[in-house]
Amino acid sequence: MTVSENVALESEAAPEPVPSPPVAGATVASPAGASTLVDRYLKEQQVTAVARFAQAHDAAHAGGPALAGRYSALMPATPPAAGQQYAFDVDLDACSGCKSCVAACHSLNGLEEEESWRDVGLLHGGSRSLPVVQHVTTACHHCLDPACMHACPVEAYEKDPVTGIVKHLDDQCFGCQYCTLACPYEAPKYSRSKGIVRKCDMCSDRLAEGEAPACVQSCPNGAIAIRVVDVEQVVEESETHLFVPGAPEPALTLPTTAYRTERVLPRNMVPADYHTVRPEQAHWSLILMLALTQLSVGAFLVERLLELLVPGALTASIRPVHSASALVFGLLALGVSVLHLGRPRYAYRAVLGLRHSWLSREILAFGVFAGLAVIYAAWSWAASAGWPGRLAGWELTVAPVAAVEAGFGWWLGWGVALSGAAGVLCSVMVYDYTKRDFWNGPATAGRFFLTTAVLGLAAAWLPLSIVAAAGDEALAGVAIDRYGPLLCRGLIVATAVKLLFEAAVFRHLASRSTTSLKRTAWLMTGALSNVTMARFAAGLLGGLAMPGLLLLSRVPAPSGQGQDLVFAVLVGMLFLACLAGELLERYLFFAAVASPRMPGTL
Amino acid sequence: MLYQRDGHLTRDLLRAPGGFGLGQVPARLKPDATTDMVCGYCSTGCSLTVHLKDGEAVSLTPAADYPVNRGVACPKGWEALSVLEAGDRAAEPLRRDASGVQRPVAWDDALRTMVERFKAIQAQHGPESVAFLSTGQMPTEEMALLGALAKFGMGMAHGDGNTRQCMATSVVAYKQAFGFDAPPYTYRDLEESDVLVFVGANPCLAHPILWERVLRNRHDPAIVVIDPRVTETAMQATEHLPIRPKSDQALFYGLARLLIERGWIDGAYIDAHTRGFDEYAAAVEPYTLERAAEETGLGADAVERLAETIHGGRRVSFWWTMGVNQSYQGVRTAQSIINLALMTGNIGRPGTGANSITGQCNAMGSRLFSNTTNLLGGHDFANPEHREKVARVLDIDPAVIPTEPSWAYNEIIEGILRERIKGLWVVCTNTAHSWINQGQARDILGRLDCLVVQDMYATTETARMADLVLPAAGWGEKDGTFINSERRIGTIKRVARAPGQALADFSIFKLVAEYWGCGEMFRQWQSPASTFQILKRLSVGQPCDITGIDGYDMLDERGGIQWPCPAGESEAVPETERRLFEDGRYYHPDGRARFLYEDPRPLPEPPSDRFPLLLLTGRGSAAQWHTQTRTAKSAVLRKLYPAQVYVEVNPADARARGIVTSDAVQVESRRGRISATAFVTRSVQPGQVFVPMHYEETNRLTDAVFDPYSKQPSYKACAVELRRVAAVG
Repeated sequence: MTVSENVALESEAAPEPVPSPPVAGATVASPAGASTLVDRYLKEQQVTAVARFAQAHDAAHAGGPALAGRYSALMPATPPAAGQQYAFDVDLDACSGCKSCVAACHSLNGLEEEESWRDVGLLHGGSRSLPVVQHVTTACHHCLDPACMHACPVEAYEKDPVTGIVKHLDDQCFGCQYCTLACPYEAPKYSRSKGIVRKCDMCSDRLAEGEAPACVQSCPNGAIAIRVVDVEQVVEESETHLFVPGAPEPALTLPTTAYRTERVLPRNMVPADYHTVRPEQAHWSLILMLALTQLSVGAFLVERLLELLVPGALTASIRPVHSASALVFGLLALGVSVLHLGRPRYAYRAVLGLRHSWLSREILAFGVFAGLAVIYAAWSWAASAGWPGRLAGWELTVAPVAAVEAGFGWWLGWGVALSGAAGVLCSVMVYDYTKRDFWNGPATAGRFFLTTAVLGLAAAWLPLSIVAAAGDEALAGVAIDRYGPLLCRGLIVATAVKLLFEAAVFRHLASRSTTSLKRTAWLMTGALSNVTMARFAAGLLGGLAMPGLLLLSRVPAPSGQGQDLVFAVLVGMLFLACLAGELLERYLFFAAVASPRMPGTL
Repeated sequence: MLYQRDGHLTRDLLRAPGGFGLGQVPARLKPDATTDMVCGYCSTGCSLTVHLKDGEAVSLTPAADYPVNRGVACPKGWEALSVLEAGDRAAEPLRRDASGVQRPVAWDDALRTMVERFKAIQAQHGPESVAFLSTGQMPTEEMALLGALAKFGMGMAHGDGNTRQCMATSVVAYKQAFGFDAPPYTYRDLEESDVLVFVGANPCLAHPILWERVLRNRHDPAIVVIDPRVTETAMQATEHLPIRPKSDQALFYGLARLLIERGWIDGAYIDAHTRGFDEYAAAVEPYTLERAAEETGLGADAVERLAETIHGGRRVSFWWTMGVNQSYQGVRTAQSIINLALMTGNIGRPGTGANSITGQCNAMGSRLFSNTTNLLGGHDFANPEHREKVARVLDIDPAVIPTEPSWAYNEIIEGILRERIKGLWVVCTNTAHSWINQGQARDILGRLDCLVVQDMYATTETARMADLVLPAAGWGEKDGTFINSERRIGTIKRVARAPGQALADFSIFKLVAEYWGCGEMFRQWQSPASTFQILKRLSVGQPCDITGIDGYDMLDERGGIQWPCPAGESEAVPETERRLFEDGRYYHPDGRARFLYEDPRPLPEPPSDRFPLLLLTGRGSAAQWHTQTRTAKSAVLRKLYPAQVYVEVNPADARARGIVTSDAVQVESRRGRISATAFVTRSVQPGQVFVPMHYEETNRLTDAVFDPYSKQPSYKACAVELRRVAAVG
């Protein structure tokens, strides 16, 4: 009779379980000497009996590491010659999926609590009669053309000219994490507590002494070896795209790890996480930085365009407020971007990577932009107060001074706008460099410059309402009459184009194969659907409905207290909705991207 | 300023020669001493070199020259120390107060409460109304003390261990066939076979270091894996037989018939060393090739090929684990494997054997010394001479020794239901997670008048139900010995300080003895080391005689010692690896092994229209251990398996239910339902699904059916249905 049958038979007859009586106040007496006994045991428990059993000395192992014999066959016979380097060599047939290499990497390298530089994923597929499962161990591939190194703005990576090992210089790193986006294999790992990235160095200290790296010496099956590879061979092999099934295209960075198998892997092998889509980390500081720099650049551009379209004194009188508000957002963006760094006090090192890192270039461009913008804003305030002439003590006629001033302002204004645009272009390239489909250059350029337009146009309402609120109703009224329709129409067009562009990603839902853009569309309609809906709602409200309303009501100039308030509310809603929409769009930009990666697990 | 190649961050990762033959280690963890000890997870019994600095363990590496693992370990071993530092360690005794909240109390209060409650229950319901459930995870010395204390000191009649869930079947199978519970092999047999047959075993994940030994085999062996799933081991096999679940007994009977029919048996061995072969031959007569093929779902050619492979091998070894043991007919299935080894003479020689790979690190210690089913030292409660002997060794009155074995685990659980058991002492196991048909099991535990749980963690599912939690030191915080699958005895040591008030289980048992008033009875059980001397005396004259082992130092020097190791014979250093039955003499009085058999029975819960799929459970990864009370505490191990429970389902069954990988699904049996993530894979056959056992939910589904002889639960076959709940993402 089984227990389950008994339950059926007896559960009805069983009486209600009697509640346990309270246990306090036990009446059993403690035995004599009990407390000393407890104390004795507790004391014993705190003494480790090292002296009794420790192996006394290392004389027994004077011959070097005791495991040397075990792994000698897994080590290179000779150091790399010219045109060669070290590489991991993985025997897939020997890997049985125990994942000791992951634990050993963590332990033998003294890494942080959950840190390991090696991971193991799973491929599965095959046919009904011959199913196949294959574990895949992966670490840094010590690429010939390491994306992490080229991306790094502070020169915290170096590729050893002899061994080819891609080494990370921990004290040089300032924690921008750009390498974690650039590497297609998730090799650099960010440590929040240390504020830097760390990664596999192929245990170079061990290799230098002829010892095997942690993963090599820990694999029970000897599935991981270190071999010398020919650089030329690696390049040739990358052409066939046969790195390992499910892995990113090897031509991107020329990974050197060799995955070997004597079997013919079925063509339907996919990673266990192939159908799994998880939102990526959103990086709020980057979201704010991108959206606000683009707002600022947009605002300066709009100011330039307005001057072109509506030349005259009007623009000049709005300019101080306009440039100041644009500048505030720009500086805010740069301030926030520094917070993104794990070690912000080393932000100045960003200039080091100018020769190769788009991130360095972005930082430089926005640095120039901010500098010029400060001068420009200061100049426009000064100019409107008529300071430059007086300060110089010039007793010239008004006309030449004004001309010089205007010329200076014109060049400076365009300098600000164009350096800002260059910065936005660098931003585009920062993401294009990662080779993620969702972040490809043209699409990202469209996205970032449309944000520049949308937010620049939306932000142009701010100086108008500031002027109005400041009490200069006459000026405000004229400005709104002249600029309002232009700004509204521009915003409507820019927003409409941008929303359509963003919605276009949903067409990938219909695609037959699980492309990375289909994953993005899945995420946006699945796990991130709330954000997606909020993004489109905000865009429609701020970029279409509000400017439409303003246009229909012929952009009422504020006159009288009541309308003042209505106008401020309308403009406030327009701006905030546009800004919220773009921030949410940028959130999706980070969270919904499908990043390339090695085969993972469920 | 601009360039910084050195600094605290760089130094943090600096490596330096560790000495002690370790090679380079993280410079800040460079040891000043090391010591070796056996790992505390599975029965492989790897040795780990613990790195010590200022008297504390700071790191570990697999021991380089231990005969079992020779320098490698699985992830659990690598992370064995880190789980000791978990925040939810039980650091002080907890007592449930009147409002139902567990509150810290002093040891004195806790022990008085325990004794008072248990004595009150015994006074009202009889001494047998208090029972204990223990473990295969404690050192032998602690198991023996617990068994002796509970039965001889506290008057309990019933106690069992979680070993019931993993190897009871092998125990009974061996006892009946060989006359003693004696796994015959040594690990070197894995290296010396030319044919290895794995039945219901996935050593690649369950015993990764044993698989390493297989890879050291230089005889280009045929590796046959008999398993319904395409496990990692099946992938490595030269031949995988994806058998229908629980049809293995029919397969081996058919195979026996085929071997007999073709004359591929070892008549001389059968005649000289076995009994009951002719009856067996007659019994398997109906198991024709066609029937075997039909019942197993394998082709007739596959069965024939297996017979040929076995016949062609000169050194054939058979290895089984939970696929056989956790079955409603496990004993007879295990014996059908033993029968194959006996009839082909594949036993007692290098590279042969009918070999059960045990589960837990000290399941083998529990088999001999837990004083539950067997009287201490592999003796028999029913045998007056055995009782006399044990009483003499322990210097106690023979009358305190029960005259019959304990109830098995399932009978104790059933006893609670029948109100025969009112108080339960659970030591180092997690019944509320691991027992079959969990919903019912928890309900039953809830009916106890008093539940005392002694564990390292106060957060186990069972500890959370307890009236009293006793905080225990874990592996690495106490001394003793383990016995591994190949009968090798190895030591564990105190290398780390236990948190707060936690005490070694040995100390807790000694305290309970004092509070109970029977401390005098255990005066000679001074320490684990002195207890080991008692164990030696108990083993005199038994197949597991260990009187030739001086003590812990000798175990360390020799890299562990396999039983038997009787005094006198060990003048010469015993071989590092020894197998049993090389002389063909078994432990039955007539020296002969027995053929045992019985017709297979149908599945207790065959798939039906409502529940058309068969649920298989088992190990999910090498990084997970059982109910995860320890392994879930390592951040590194947590990276190595999915955080949430998942169900593997064949594409055909998934398609029929509109399920794709990552979908949220519901798995339902007659007993309960769970939510899980779908993993659509061909590694399970159509009509079957697989759920790893480590997740808390899994046993809500399983069906409480037991082997009639071993009382081991049948975890691996019950009917379920699968339903899609939500789409991916």
